[in-house]
Formats: sequence, structure tokens, C-alpha cells
Amino acid sequence: MKQRPSPYPYWFVLPAAVVFVTLFLVPTVASFWFSMTRWDLFTAEFIGWDNYRQFFKEPFLVQGLVNTLIYAFVTSATKSVLGLLLAVLLTSGILWQGFLRSVVFFPVLVSTIGVGITFQALMHPTKGVINLALSWVGIDGPSWLSDPGLALYSVAFIDLWKGVGLATLIYIAGLAAISPDYYEAARIDGATRIQQFWRVTLPLVRPATVTVITLSLIGGLRSFDIIWATTRGGPGFSSDVLASVIYKQYQAGFYGLATAGNVILFLLIAIIILPLTWWFSSREVDL
Amino acid sequence: MTRNSLSVRQRNTGLIATAAAAVIFITPFLYIFFMAMKTKKEAALFLFSWPREWHFWSNLTEVIMARNYMLLLAYMNSTLITVGAVTLLILFGAMVGYILQRRPSGWNRLIYAGVLVGLMVPPAVVPTIWVLQGLHLFKTLQGMVLIQVAYGLAFSVLLYRSFIATIPRDLDEAAIIDGAKPLQIFVKVILPLLRPVTVTLIVVQSIAIFNDFTNPLYYLPGKENVTVQLTLFNFQSQFQSQFNLLFMNILLVTIPPLIVFVFFNRQIVAGMTAGAVKG
Amino acid sequence: MAGVVLKSLKKSFGAVEVIKGIDLEVKAGEFCVFVGPSGCGKSTLLRIIAGLEQATAGEIWIDGREVTGAEPSDRGIAMVFQSYALYPHLTVRENIGFGLSLARLPKDQIRARVDAAAAALQLGPLMDRKPKALSGGQRQRVAIGRAIVRDPKVFLFDEPLSNLDAALRAQMRIELTDLHRRLGATMIYVTHDQIEAMTMADKIVVLNAGRIEQVGTPMQLYNHPATPFVAGFIGSPKMNLFTGETARALGCTTYGIRPEHLALSPTAGTWQGKVRHIEHLGADTVIYLDVPSLGELVARVAGEMAADRGDMLWASPMPGREFRFD
Ligand SMILES: Nc1ncnc2c1ncn2[C@@H]1O[C@H](COP(=O)(O)OP(=O)(O)OP(=O)(O)O)[C@@H](O)[C@H]1O
Ligand SMILES: [Mg+2]
Repeated sequence: MKQRPSPYPYWFVLPAAVVFVTLFLVPTVASFWFSMTRWDLFTAEFIGWDNYRQFFKEPFLVQGLVNTLIYAFVTSATKSVLGLLLAVLLTSGILWQGFLRSVVFFPVLVSTIGVGITFQALMHPTKGVINLALSWVGIDGPSWLSDPGLALYSVAFIDLWKGVGLATLIYIAGLAAISPDYYEAARIDGATRIQQFWRVTLPLVRPATVTVITLSLIGGLRSFDIIWATTRGGPGFSSDVLASVIYKQYQAGFYGLATAGNVILFLLIAIIILPLTWWFSSREVDL
Repeated sequence: MTRNSLSVRQRNTGLIATAAAAVIFITPFLYIFFMAMKTKKEAALFLFSWPREWHFWSNLTEVIMARNYMLLLAYMNSTLITVGAVTLLILFGAMVGYILQRRPSGWNRLIYAGVLVGLMVPPAVVPTIWVLQGLHLFKTLQGMVLIQVAYGLAFSVLLYRSFIATIPRDLDEAAIIDGAKPLQIFVKVILPLLRPVTVTLIVVQSIAIFNDFTNPLYYLPGKENVTVQLTLFNFQSQFQSQFNLLFMNILLVTIPPLIVFVFFNRQIVAGMTAGAVKG
Repeated sequence: MAGVVLKSLKKSFGAVEVIKGIDLEVKAGEFCVFVGPSGCGKSTLLRIIAGLEQATAGEIWIDGREVTGAEPSDRGIAMVFQSYALYPHLTVRENIGFGLSLARLPKDQIRARVDAAAAALQLGPLMDRKPKALSGGQRQRVAIGRAIVRDPKVFLFDEPLSNLDAALRAQMRIELTDLHRRLGATMIYVTHDQIEAMTMADKIVVLNAGRIEQVGTPMQLYNHPATPFVAGFIGSPKMNLFTGETARALGCTTYGIRPEHLALSPTAGTWQGKVRHIEHLGADTVIYLDVPSLGELVARVAGEMAADRGDMLWASPMPGREFRFD
């Protein structure tokens, strides 16, 4: 029998698909090829795994890789922990709760470059407000952004400052979805506030935790603009991450190498996120 | 414990938390504001202090006129990109989300896979430049708009899909019986019902695109194409000795999100927390 | 000239055959009710007639024209959904006129037809409201108005009253019957409420697992059920049905007797049983007996019955009211 056309025709998808395929999928697929070439955008010369080999040999490239992992892990962990604590605080009915939520969240919406420049000033080793405040209590503040051992963590802190509001917001939504009945049942069972947090809040807010960890890990692994606005990967290569390495190689005209970095970043995200997602969903509690 | 009668403990925690939040989250903004008002000499001290003289207008005009009104050009470019990209994102996102939700299977697995890829995979920048060059879209506003559409599509599609799931299919079928063609069902029945989620998306995507730095950095180099974030970044080196102007610039890029935040708080929260509760 | 004719209609969803070959003729102007247990395919059949689903095999004819492959809007049908499916963003007037405006009728003509439909349903004062501001019964009327205004040859209803409370449902039954009489159009009506089926139908189609079990007027089905399934489905409380050894002892494979066709007596009768439960409904009384040779036996008698739990009673089938199925 002749099939009548569906009322939901696939051509609705077409314009979006054309844009997405040409500007996202095609470059992604092409990147596997170009990452194995010496490339100047016009001619590509096949050189096999050389770019990858270089990536794992050059110390500063390796450091970029390691830094990416440290950075993603540190920002993700601090955002989830602090985000949850802030969310609990900001749902407990404290004074000016609504205003505080806005204050914590607003940095999420602000230009990263603006935040970066501001913190550069605040973290200035001699004139910066942070070290000035520390000197009042007798602490000799470090060179936050120009000490090679510290720069990456200082940038991670700025990222935390800017991003924790999103984690908090997601956790607040997650907490709001927990029925108060559970807390009343726990109270009747004689659970203390601390026990309520560990036994009721933490397990039941799991979907929000999954979202926060996944989002902040992906964001952390891809992070570029905040680093570029504050240290540009410096001093030296001490705060370089994959994304900034890619940009530097691109600027230097090593397009094949930059693309190899891109593929590595892609694989890194896949290797970390896919098992994590799988693990999270395999332990899904059905309510 | 009711909402309107706070216990002593709650009030004290509130006061402490407010104080801490003020120091940690508000100080940087006050700092930006004060710095933007100061003279060149005072700003160079980097102090967190009340400006001795207020130079709002002079700093403002100077920033705007800098480099031959580059900031105005940047605002215009950023606005064009944002408006263009958000319009397409709304339209494409709603159409794809609709088909994705309504069609039972078949191609939809593929579309859904594409959406997940779009959410997770970092764009391959240099090959993208190569494609843009091939299409003569590199260093053009149109190219930038399409890039933002490609990168923002997955989020829009997901948001629309979950919203459309709440619209009963009976409505589509009633329209079919009333003689509506596929496009009419979408435009006359579905689209008007998508208002709330569309407002959310407009707000959230506008802020994201307006604040975007990385993508214009790669795909939109060149003086005539500057965007707001790029100008700010470039002024950083140019205004090395004029921090008052640099911070005036930061103030100027902070105000639009602030205004949007004040008016669309609810929608922003809805957009940012979508999917947080149900995985 | 027939209203709706279905010829060996089949429908599968994937590997599952849901409609397994249906032949049916609904005459012009007839009020035809599809009944059957949940999941038997009533809605699917109705949606195939409407054109919302496509049949896997078979033909559909409406008003003497084959419409098997036609668009829903070209079949001369209108449909009222269980959820009413009113467009939430449009007013009552716009809802009713939606189809006409899609057909690009002139504005004044739309207005006239919408007003006529509204008058028939007493929707006058509600015309500028949105569906959200209407009660369930009012929404129901708007949904019917949207169907009327298209002036269809066939009306299709899918459990239109199931979201209403009992009183409103009784009232709407009468209004729909009235409407049918006034319009004289063919109506096909899906329900699993047998009161609706019995009171409204000219013709009842009993469906079971994708097949037609029996077609007939309400009284035909009540008095001459063709199968035990139909016998058990029509009538309330359900007919007492016995199979196996018990039925064989009574000379058939399935033996049936309606509760209202049992005479009770404290002293003599066919079967003796102990009263397990009594329901006093006012106008009549329903008695559940435990009969050792049969199992549970339900009887209904008119008026009040003075009996208590644990009493022993005799039940006898009224002559000519027994059903024996082989
Ligand atoms: N789109 C579909 N895909 C797969 N199976 C379906 C679909 N629609 C209906 N079915 C199946 O077809 C069978 C008949 O469904 P239908 O809705 O016609 O039943 P119904 O008689 O209307 O039941 P109810 O009284 O509960 O409304 C059911 O088993 C149902 O699960
Ligand atoms: Mg049904």
C-alpha cells in the first residue's frame, strides 16, 4: 500500500543538518586526516603519526596534557563540592537567600575576558588587592599568576569563582526536587542534620551531581579563554592546557600539529566522559 | 520553621554568608566599577578604593573613541552576530526538536547521536577554518553566525525536544483533521506554544554568544570584524598604562548581561538548570 | 448508499497485528458504537477511519468513495478526541474556525458558520475565552463545535465523555443523541462504557483482540449474544458464565445466565447456595451466592430483598433465558 507522507517531514531537519554537518561534523572527521599531515591550509603532506609522536615527546606539549587533566579535575571537584554546600546553604531559608543566589550566580553571565583582566589586577603580586589584604594579617602573598608552580591553580581558582554559581544553581534545582517527606521521615527516625545530609540529601541529589560533574569536566577539559585572558599559558608553559597549546600551534602555523592536539583533546574527553556517563547511568537509582 | 519567621541561627548564618558572599563575589564588581571611574594615575595604583575624582563621562567617551570608535563597531558586530545566530538557533532548534520528539525512530537515532556529539565534542578548529575558507565564509560575519548556530544547536534541540514532549500529540492530529499541512501544524499550532522555552533560549544563547571569545578569535580575525570580547582582549595590551579605560571597557561589557539578568532571571535559571533534575 | 464501509482491514505495528481483518458496514445516519476491552484496537480502528493511522491492508469507503489513501482532511470526517485537543493558544472562536481558516474561506463566511455551530451548542458567551478558562463540559462542547463546523459526513468520537463526572456524562449522552438526531449524520463512537453503548447506539460493534465479535442493535446483543465474550461484555452485573465440568453437566461447553434472570427463593429451586455478600442499590439488590456445584453465582432482584450474609437461598434460571454456547 502506498505510504502517505508523514506529518513530520524530515526536511524540517535539513537546514540545521546542513549547517551542523558542514561546520561541525565535516571538520571533526577531517581532523583525523589532517592531524597526520604537515599542513598549511592549502597543501597537506602525509606524515603518519609524527604529530602525535611529537605531542608525547615535547616536554611542553606533555605538560599541556598533564595540566589539562589537573585543571579539569581541580575545577570540577571544587565546583561540585562548593556548589553543593552553597546550594544547601541557599535553600535553608537564610536571610536574603534570593539576593545571595543572584550574587553567587551572576559571575556565570559575565564576560570571561573581563573577569580574567579583573583578577589579573586583583592578583597582582605587589599592588593587588588580594596580597594587600593578606599583608594586613601578616601573610606575604605569593605571585599568584607569575609563579610557575602556582599559576595553573590560580587560574583554576578564578574559574571556580566564575563558575561555581552554575553548579550551585543546578544543585538548588536538584534539592528543590527532593520531597520534604524524606526529611520528615528521617527526622522521625531520629537522624541528625549531618546524618540527613549524608543519608538523604546526597543520594537523592545525585542527578544534579551527575550533571554538575559532567558539565564541569567537559568545560574544564576544553577550557581556553580564562587561561588565555590571564596567563596565556605562562609563565613559560607552566599553565598551558591542550586548548591553549592548540591555539599557540595554530598561531605558529603548525596546522597539522594543532589539529593533532584537537584530536587528542577529543579523545581525552571521550575517554573520560563516556565511561563516566556509563558508570553514572549503570548506578541509577529508580525512585 | 516557616518561611517568614527566621530562627536566630538562620539569621546569623545568613549574615555571615552574606558578608562572605559580599567580599568574595561583590568586591570584584565594585572594584571594576571604581577603577572605571578613576583617573589614569589613580587607577594605576590598583587599590580597592573610592575614586578621589569621578571621571565617568571622560573615561566613557575616551574608551568609545579609542582606535577610531572601535568599540562601537564591536558592539554592532557582536549584536549582528548574536541576533542572527539566535534567530536561526530558535528556528532550527525548534524544527529539529519537534521532529526528534514526534517521529518514532528511523533517522532519529542518527539525529540524536548528532546532538550528543554536538554537546560533547570540542570543535576541530583548524579544519573548520579550512572549510570556512572553502566556502568563502572565513573572516565574515555570516560565517561567524553559522558557526555559532552549529555549536549552539545541540543545546537548543534538547531543550525544545523536552518541552515539545509536554505538548499532546492530539493537538497535531486535531490540526491534521482540520486540514493543516505539516508546516501549518508547526507554525500555527506548535510554535505559538513554545513561547516560554523560546524566551529562555533567547536569553541564555544571547548571553553565551555575546560573551564568546574563543570562536571569534579563531574564525573572525581582522580589524573590521572585531567583536566586543575581542576588543576588550586587544585593549588589554593597548591600555597597559590606562587601567581606568580598560576597566571602563569591562564595565561596558558587564552591563548588558546584568540588565538581562535583572529582567529574565527566571528564564535564565530555567535554561541553565534544564535537565539537572532528570539526568 | 452506505456511510462507512470497511473491507478486510488490517493493521500491524511492527510485528504486532493489532487489527486482524475487519469487515463492517455503517449505514448513513447510523449511530454506531465500538465497544471492547482495553487494548482491543477500538482507537486504532477509529484512527484508521480518520486517516491518522494507515491500514496495513484493506479498504475504507466513506459515502461511496474509496478513501483508503486519502488525507484525513479530504475524507469528510471530523473527530472529537478524549482529551478534546483544543488549541490552548486560540480562543473558542478561533478553535472552532481553525479548519475553515486553513481552507481560506472568506472571513464573513467563517464567522457565520462558527456562530451557527456555537448557537447549536449554546457556546455564545464563551466565544472569546481560551480553553484554559473553560470547564470540562464546556471544553467538550467546543470540541464538538469544532467538529460540527466542518459539516462532515461522518463524526468520529474516541471516548469523548470519559473525562467528565457521572452527572455531566449522563447529560452529555442525551445532548449527543439529540445532536445526532438533529444533524442526521453518521456517527462512530468508541467507548468502553457499556451504558453509553446501550443507550446511544443504533448499532453496537463488539471488538475483541482486533476482531469483530458481534454486530447488532443493543437489544440483539443483550438477547442473543453470539459468543460467551459478548454475553459477558454486555449487561451489568456481568452474566454468570460457567465452563468445564460444570457446563458439561448442563449440556454445553459454556453455560450463561444473567443475574437478572435468576429467581431466588428461600425454600426451593435449582441451586442452593450460601449468601456471601449483598449490595443494596435501592432500586434493586445484588446477591452473591456460593453454590457448591457451580462456584460463585450473582443474582439481581428488583426492589429490596430481606436476606443476610450466611443465609441459604435457592436460585432458579428463568425459562428461556439460559444461554448455552458450544
Ligand atoms: N503507535 C502504536 N505503536 C505500537 N502499538 C500500538 C500503537 N498504538 C496502539 N498500539 C497497540 O495496539 C493495541 C490497540 O490499541 P488501541 O489504542 O486501539 O486500544 P483501545 O481499544 O483503544 O484501548 P483503550 O480502551 O484502552 O483505549 C494495544 O495493544 C496498543 O498497545
Ligand atoms: Mg482507546
